[in-house]
Amino acid sequence: MAASTKKKLTVLLDSFESRSPAQHLVDRLLIGYPSAGAWQDPGFDNITVHAAEEVWKEETGLKRRQVECNLNREDKPTNALQDADAVLIVPGGAGVTANEAAIEAAIEITPDNTPIFVHGALANSLQDARRLAGLAAKRSKPLAAGTSLSVAGRLPDIGIPLNAPMKEALVVVQGSFGAGEFAGINSLLPLVERRAGGESGIKRVYRYHGAILWGVARSGRWPRHLLSPSLSRSDSPQGDPVKDGRTQDLVGLGLVEKLASDPRGWVIEHRDGFRSTILTLDGAVADFNFAIEMKDGSVLSAQIYQPPKPNEENYSRLAAVIERFFSSGRPPWPVERSLLTAHLQSLFLNLSLLGGSVTDVSALKPAIAYRPTPTE
Amino acid sequence: MGTLGGAAIAAPSLCLGQTADRPSTPRTVAILATKVAKYSHAQHFIDRFLEGYGWQGEHHRPSLKLASLYVDQFPENDLARERASRHQVPIFPSIAEALTLGGSKLAVDGVLIIAEHGDYPENEKGQKLYPRHRFFKETVKVFEDSRRAVPVFNDKHLSTDWEECVEMVEDSRRLTFAFLAGSSLPVTWRIPSIELPLETELEQSVGVCYGGVDSYDFHGYETAQCMSERRAGGESGVRSLQALRGDALWARVESDDSLKSLVFSALSRSHSLKAPKGYSIGRPSFSWIRECSPDATGFFIEHLDGFRTTQFLLNGYLRDFTYAGRKKNGEVVSCQMQLPMPPSNTTLADFFNPLVNNIERTILTGKAAYPIERTLLTSGMSIAGVDSLHAGQRKIETPHLDVTYKAREQSTYWRA
Repeated sequence: MAASTKKKLTVLLDSFESRSPAQHLVDRLLIGYPSAGAWQDPGFDNITVHAAEEVWKEETGLKRRQVECNLNREDKPTNALQDADAVLIVPGGAGVTANEAAIEAAIEITPDNTPIFVHGALANSLQDARRLAGLAAKRSKPLAAGTSLSVAGRLPDIGIPLNAPMKEALVVVQGSFGAGEFAGINSLLPLVERRAGGESGIKRVYRYHGAILWGVARSGRWPRHLLSPSLSRSDSPQGDPVKDGRTQDLVGLGLVEKLASDPRGWVIEHRDGFRSTILTLDGAVADFNFAIEMKDGSVLSAQIYQPPKPNEENYSRLAAVIERFFSSGRPPWPVERSLLTAHLQSLFLNLSLLGGSVTDVSALKPAIAYRPTPTE
Repeated sequence: MGTLGGAAIAAPSLCLGQTADRPSTPRTVAILATKVAKYSHAQHFIDRFLEGYGWQGEHHRPSLKLASLYVDQFPENDLARERASRHQVPIFPSIAEALTLGGSKLAVDGVLIIAEHGDYPENEKGQKLYPRHRFFKETVKVFEDSRRAVPVFNDKHLSTDWEECVEMVEDSRRLTFAFLAGSSLPVTWRIPSIELPLETELEQSVGVCYGGVDSYDFHGYETAQCMSERRAGGESGVRSLQALRGDALWARVESDDSLKSLVFSALSRSHSLKAPKGYSIGRPSFSWIRECSPDATGFFIEHLDGFRTTQFLLNGYLRDFTYAGRKKNGEVVSCQMQLPMPPSNTTLADFFNPLVNNIERTILTGKAAYPIERTLLTSGMSIAGVDSLHAGQRKIETPHLDVTYKAREQSTYWRA
């Protein structure tokens, strides 16, 4: 962290489970982390955690860090927030469900210009996301939300230039319903927002669940031709490779359809005509991959690299981004990405709950359009 | 007449060349394996030739056809017969028959020697006596009898005997066939994806990895050497090597500030450093490393031009391969050579993809994708490291390791 003075960071936690995002981030902010070939020392002298009483009960968790790492405990949220120089909010689990009350409290109570980073979702609906973003703007609080997928490395290490002439994109992820979709959105948006003109907003979302996903591929409803380049980047194909270690052309041999246990496809029509697709393919591969077809017909593909457990060093990358944000006050990416994330996630959930196949949001005003930050 | 590892090289007496000029039929390879079981090295190579592999955004199927197998051992978990049956690849009872496809003359266009894993004896120094040299010599015999030689790939180090290593390289020169060898470490992904330009003013290399002596130490030597060889003047050869453990190791490290800082630079690229119990991360310190890795081994290598390489095996502390090098201007470069090992991290050992691709290129072009001298030297380092430990951690003078070579402009690591 390039901060000239070390100040107070307040962390609002819902839980502190072993190897959770909360533990990964708090440990890195307390102890430091590797970054760019060196050890990055903690950027804050005072790290104060506010969490419910039961979160403090685990002897190996926060309480131990009070003793060994000078972590401060504050049971009253107002006391924790009112003199904070930066706020990190980490809801439970992977951050799929936002703790909107905590975010709102942070915005309302902290001093002006206090940067606030939210791990995971900013809100659970577009309406609430807009409300929180509007409140933060009104109170002059720089606000950003996201997961380590926003800063993940790639294999190969390809960068996406601004205004890249993209034609369409496909990401393949895994996860249970809801979590997989959230991971898919967080994998997709940092890529496709860098297309020519930036993000234009969305027009329609199509849902293809189960065997229908493969049927509609034949009529071009999603870019099946990008599946092979995407999965060619996987190191974790399932099926026979698990049994005996063999390599396998999952797509060419028609094995993806057989292996994917509950395939879910989401096709997003953007307002500029761009089309992006998220596939959650549990059982086919066990890593996240993408392919983007450019307008000249070339295809960029990579694995979205998630370093192995237990260290999950992607959290070091995220910690570095969060600390830079806290130091500069400049959000690492536009809050509109988080609005669009909340919108897409709620559209996906509603479509599934209703059993629908398409939803049209072309009338939404204003559209969630934005330009990405110049650097990835 | 030149020198090779301190040994004189005879002028070619039998220059066979590589006459695999049969464009109308697919080129073929034979794989000579010690054993084929799930996650054995031979399984990784065989399957990539039979099934293809992910490469540059597509599922790549080699244009080389696997025409024959020789397999030395068939344990209960053998997969060679299953693969051979499913893909109609004959398994021959001898190396000569595998290379001649049962005929009288060499009948393949490339040979892979994958002699890693299997039940083989160890010598008094603890080195496992894999039959790489034997496989190679039987291959050379077929070349000589057929008056034709084709490219050969040898997986990992050449031999546990230095004279045999030299003999293998001399044979390749005498018969003028492309000889490629080594580990996947020099060609796998680098995180970050860094390249040292040729003639970099580099003064010191450090590699930090894990694994056993006479096994993963070789991968570590190759990790460092594929970077060190790009220094100004190229590789000069190795003057001495000393392996240290315990207090002697840490006293040596603690007394060398330059080395210490490079160790930490390398460790900063690891994704597997052991954290204190209950924490998800821990700041590296030598006291913690000693606690986690009581059998830590360091190999201190002096090159003939004054360059230094230090290689660490830190079992119990990390499970990946990292590198750091210092340039003469003080700048430090560092990266991880990624080796995501199945089954814990992946289902495929895809670091074999770039290695197989370089083998394909070697066989198709008749030119080794990178110099065999690298692997000759790293084989020698590995042997010297074992000797030093066997001699009570004594410094071993290595006048025979005067292996000089220049790296190629393209370092061939996986980046696309």
